[in-house]
Order: sequence, then structure tokens, then C-alpha cells
Amino acid sequence: MKIKIRKRYLFFILAFSSAIFNAIGSAFDAISQIYIPDPWALGIACFVFGVIVSGLFSIIFSIPYKKKSLGAHTIDPTFKRVRLLKKQEVKYHLIAGFGNAVLTIGYFFLLSLMSGDVSIVLPFTQVVILYLVIIESFSEKDTPSLVEIQSSVIVTFGAILGSLTLSGSINVTALAIVFLVINPGWVLLSVYQRKLKMLKIDESPNDAINIRVWNVIFACMFTIIIVSIFDGIMGTSHVIAGIQAITDQYFWVFLLAITTFFAFVFYIRALGIGKASVTQAVKASLILFSLPVSLILGYYGIIPSFTTDPVMLVIKLMGIVLMLLGILSFALTLTKAYIFIRMKPGYEIQQTMKQLWNIKGVSRVTAVAGPYDFIIKIHTRTLVKGYERIIRKVESIQGIDDYSWQSVLKEWEDI
Amino acid sequence: MMNAYILISMQPGNSDKAIAEMRKIEHVEKISVVAGEFDIVIRVKVETLEELLEATNKIQMIQGVQKTTTQVIEKEIAL
Repeated sequence: MKIKIRKRYLFFILAFSSAIFNAIGSAFDAISQIYIPDPWALGIACFVFGVIVSGLFSIIFSIPYKKKSLGAHTIDPTFKRVRLLKKQEVKYHLIAGFGNAVLTIGYFFLLSLMSGDVSIVLPFTQVVILYLVIIESFSEKDTPSLVEIQSSVIVTFGAILGSLTLSGSINVTALAIVFLVINPGWVLLSVYQRKLKMLKIDESPNDAINIRVWNVIFACMFTIIIVSIFDGIMGTSHVIAGIQAITDQYFWVFLLAITTFFAFVFYIRALGIGKASVTQAVKASLILFSLPVSLILGYYGIIPSFTTDPVMLVIKLMGIVLMLLGILSFALTLTKAYIFIRMKPGYEIQQTMKQLWNIKGVSRVTAVAGPYDFIIKIHTRTLVKGYERIIRKVESIQGIDDYSWQSVLKEWEDI
Repeated sequence: MMNAYILISMQPGNSDKAIAEMRKIEHVEKISVVAGEFDIVIRVKVETLEELLEATNKIQMIQGVQKTTTQVIEKEIAL
């Protein structure tokens, strides 16, 4: 017997797990930096190890056990085995991989620019949530509601405050890299990973493990190409330094690659349920989970020890409270509904289906046999929008005889 | 493989217990408690009509279930 849990919980469990793995990963990141001070070399080492680790884990997870793969039992129920790419995936993988490479290179460039201390500009990478909200208002079927915009802004500002440390200096170039290179790269990565997760492969949903494996492969390829071009122009030898770093300092990079793998697999699975902006916002809880990590690292003197300045502490606390509030309001404001629809005779079913599907907020249209002709599923953040945007549109479709709205009060789902 | 919605009207009473029973039934993919004409909407995923009958039968056996209406899905567009 499978367990049914509420889908909303699953989404939060996945996003939080991703954040926790990321927080642990950030510790290995800090330690690796000490051993491999050249940021370009570290980037290459991370990706090459990423490919090795992801490949290794995906093979382990492909081992069948009781009719299903080990991966399906543990990480992602839709995972069968590691496989080659389908034609329809390649385009998305190229873009997502490019996004990942750009964001990583941007990050390492920033590191070298600020001689290692990026703590003051890095919080601004959280603004990516707002980029996603804007992008989604064009690309997703549901335009962001006021609640979503509000919560995103609250989470973003909270995350910035919560992760603020005032040890470095701030400069325009560094901020430009964050806003024009790192954040757009991250947008490409998350939007296209979501598209990949939503694809149907051989009639079943795409799985997170294959998406991650192929993303690392493409990102690694793009990174090596970009760094090689950089080497060629500037006459440096970062690619060679990267390969050397792999053989010299494999231990920490290896650990970093493992945590990154799991952080991404859970993140991609969460992306399959929630919009990229909402997933990103929940993942901003990383800042909360990384508190104990930075305390430990500070204790051992790996990073500057935790601030005891009361003003900074108050700011951080405010940031964390804001962030949690924002996440909570994402969780509590989603409403769902079914609309049961009866048709008059003499109207094309296929065409009506398309018309219903074109209504914003409609996440599922089914043509059914029985007393009703269509059952459609609605996701909306406010009921006001439900009337304004949905009922009016449904009523305007010709051929609809009668409809009844059923608000969902609570829901359980197979996972 | 096919999917169906089973729309359920309940007698007022112990719906918590009935839902707990429904969560145990095989082939049940999703249970939504709704406010409107019906009380509960269940989505099932079955291989054959036989299995669909089995599932509806089990649901009807649960105490508190007053009436079920089965809607077999013929075509679907989803996110």
C-alpha cells in the first residue's frame, strides 16, 4: 500500500530537503575554497566531479529492487533508470546547462574579483525570486496574484537581510555581475529544469535524477568551453589548474558534489509541483538552515566567526522572520476547485476543451462520460480571481448548459 | 490504463473516519474534500473496468457514503 499525503506537504518537504543539502554543501564549498583558491579551477573541478558523482549515483539508483529501481523507492517514484536524452529534451537541456554554466562562472568570477569575500553581494542573488515572478507572468498559465508578488517581495527582502554580513566591501561591478550574470543564469536553469520536469517521457512524467545528470553534463561542457576561451584570450591556464585541483583535492570537492547532487534532485522534484518562483522562495529557507553550518564553520575558524554585533543580529532576525512569513503565506493561500460542466448537444468537444484550457488558472481539463461532460481543475490564489477570471470566462463559452463550482477544502494524493 | 472521477455524496456524520478508509483503497490516486453539490471527489487510476468496479464497490461499502457518481475520463489536458 502506498501512502497518501497532502501534496502541499510533499512540496515543502522537497524544497526544505533541497535547502538543507544546500546548506551542508555550502560548508564543503567554504572548505574547498581554502584548498583550491583559484575560483576558475574550483568551478571546473566541481563540475567534473559533479558529472562523476551524478553518473555514479544514477547508476546505483538504477539497480532494480522489487520490480522498481532503487531510485524510485527512495528519491523519485518516476525514476526508472538512467537513460539517453530524448529529442524533445535536448533543446531544454542545452539552455538549462548553459544557464548553470553562466551562473557558476559568474559566481567564480565574482569570487576572484572580490578576492574571496562575496558575503556582501551574494545575498542579492535572492532577488532571482522576483525575476522568476516577472518571467512567469508571461510564460505560465497563471499570472501572479497580489499575494504571490507580496510574498515574493517579503521573502526576497527577508533573505537579503537574513544573509547579510558586513565584512566585505560593495562595488558596482560586483552587483552588476549578480544582477546581470548570476541571476539570469539561475533563471534559465530553474525555468528550463521545470519545463523538463513537466515533459512526458514515454507517457510518464520525467524524473529528477536523469534531469540532474544531464544538466551537469551540459553545464560541465559549457563551463570548460567558456573557461578555455577565457584562457585563450587572457593567456591564463585555469583549465589545467582545474584538472590539477581534481587530482590534488578530490576529497572535499567530492563531498561538495554529493550534497549538490541531492540538493538539485530534490529541487527539481519540487519544481515539478510548484512554480519556479514559489519553489525558489521556499528554498530561500537555506539561510535559516545555513545558520548552524556557519556557526560550526566559524567555531573552527574556517570562516570569520558569527557576528555578535547586536544591530546585525537584530537585522538578521528581522530578515529570518520576514522570510518565514513570506513562505508561510505561500503555503496557506493556494486554493483549488473543481468545476463540473454540462454541455448542450451539438457542440464540438475538442474545441470546447481547448477553450476551457485557455482560461488562466485552469490546470487540468478532462472530458468525461457520465452525468457531466467536463471536469476541470482550478488553482488560484484568491477566490475573487476565481470569479473574475474563471467563472466569467467559463460562462462566455458557447454550448455550456450548466456548471457547478466545488471548492476543494482538503486533499490527499498518492506520491 | 484509464482514469475516472468518483463523485461522492456523504451522510452527515463521521466523515473523518470514512476518509481514512478511502485513503487505504487501492487505485485511489487523489481524495479531495469539496464544498458544493458533492462532498468528496476521488480520482482513481485503474487498468480495467473490472478494477474500477472493485474500487467503486469498496467506496460504496464505506459507512456514511450515500451516493456515488462515476465519471470515466475520456480525454485530458493537464499541466
